Amino acid sequence: MSTTHGHAPIQESGQLSEFEVLELAVRELAIEKGLFSAEDHRRFSEWAESRGPHGGSKLVAKAWVDPAFKERLLTNGTEACKEVGLNWLEPTGQGTPSDYTFFYVLENTPKLHNVIVCTLCSCYPRPVLGMSPDWYRTPNYRRRMVRWPREVLAEFGLHLSPDVEVRVHDSNQKSRFMVMPMRPEGTEGWSEEQLAAIVTRDCMIGVALPRPDWTAQQVPSQATPSQAKGKGGRK
Amino acid sequence: MGRYKIGDRVTVRDATTLFHTRTQGYARGSTGTVVDTRPEWIVPEDEAFGILENGRHEPFYVVRFNQKELWPDYTGFDVDTLESEFSESWLMPAGKERK
Repeated sequence: MSTTHGHAPIQESGQLSEFEVLELAVRELAIEKGLFSAEDHRRFSEWAESRGPHGGSKLVAKAWVDPAFKERLLTNGTEACKEVGLNWLEPTGQGTPSDYTFFYVLENTPKLHNVIVCTLCSCYPRPVLGMSPDWYRTPNYRRRMVRWPREVLAEFGLHLSPDVEVRVHDSNQKSRFMVMPMRPEGTEGWSEEQLAAIVTRDCMIGVALPRPDWTAQQVPSQATPSQAKGKGGRK
Repeated sequence: MGRYKIGDRVTVRDATTLFHTRTQGYARGSTGTVVDTRPEWIVPEDEAFGILENGRHEPFYVVRFNQKELWPDYTGFDVDTLESEFSESWLMPAGKERK
């Protein structure tokens, strides 16, 4: 044993949950019965997992620069999504399972801050934000966001003034929600594309606020002065 | 048309927790205000068991609670609220039952 391998043997991490075993069994039956093929399943999974938060960012940025679109977005979210190429009925014609088509955008104001959670499971506006982050699905976030929202927001680094109403939306039925943050100062004259870059996933969940010097790709310490002012591209 | 309208004060019933309800334990017995209505949907109690065509359909309501009513030891501020949705049979006019 002179050639000791530098780590403990790699184990399968954890066991399949009952729900995962059930999903596998039902999936195999459905494939055997010819309801869909294994390839259909793989392609659908790939499609679902390749959605990101970019659609949501586009919606917010467009609403910031176009008041008429903002009105349409707040009135009928599902319809307004089509204007930026997002169709909630894709890819099956009925939408993705459990997403349905009732989409509501929650507008933040100087006196109101919205945040979303699903205490029962992990309902999330996947067609516009993609798959939810792991922490969003944890019992810890779900349990504590409804009961101690200000404390949880503070753990994300977001401290809100006592006169700002924190409104938690517990997404327990068929509606899906997304937060529209306020456009930050220092973004005057920006293009829709520049604006979309600072509307990150967490801003649309409601655990963060957009900053002109911070995108999902770049934190302030790495930003060059011109980018911090929003003038440069990502070259 | 549903039984409740925007502005009505309603209390969430503390009914049986058997099977699938989608009515959270923390909301049961709490009183809030109807702030929006939703289209009629099949209730989760039937949908969960695949009773789709003949399942019960009910109007749904968005109810806004003051956090301090929901949690007696709430540590935030008076302005804080929480919203969630309930089918009509889970609601009753406020004041009919104490928590």
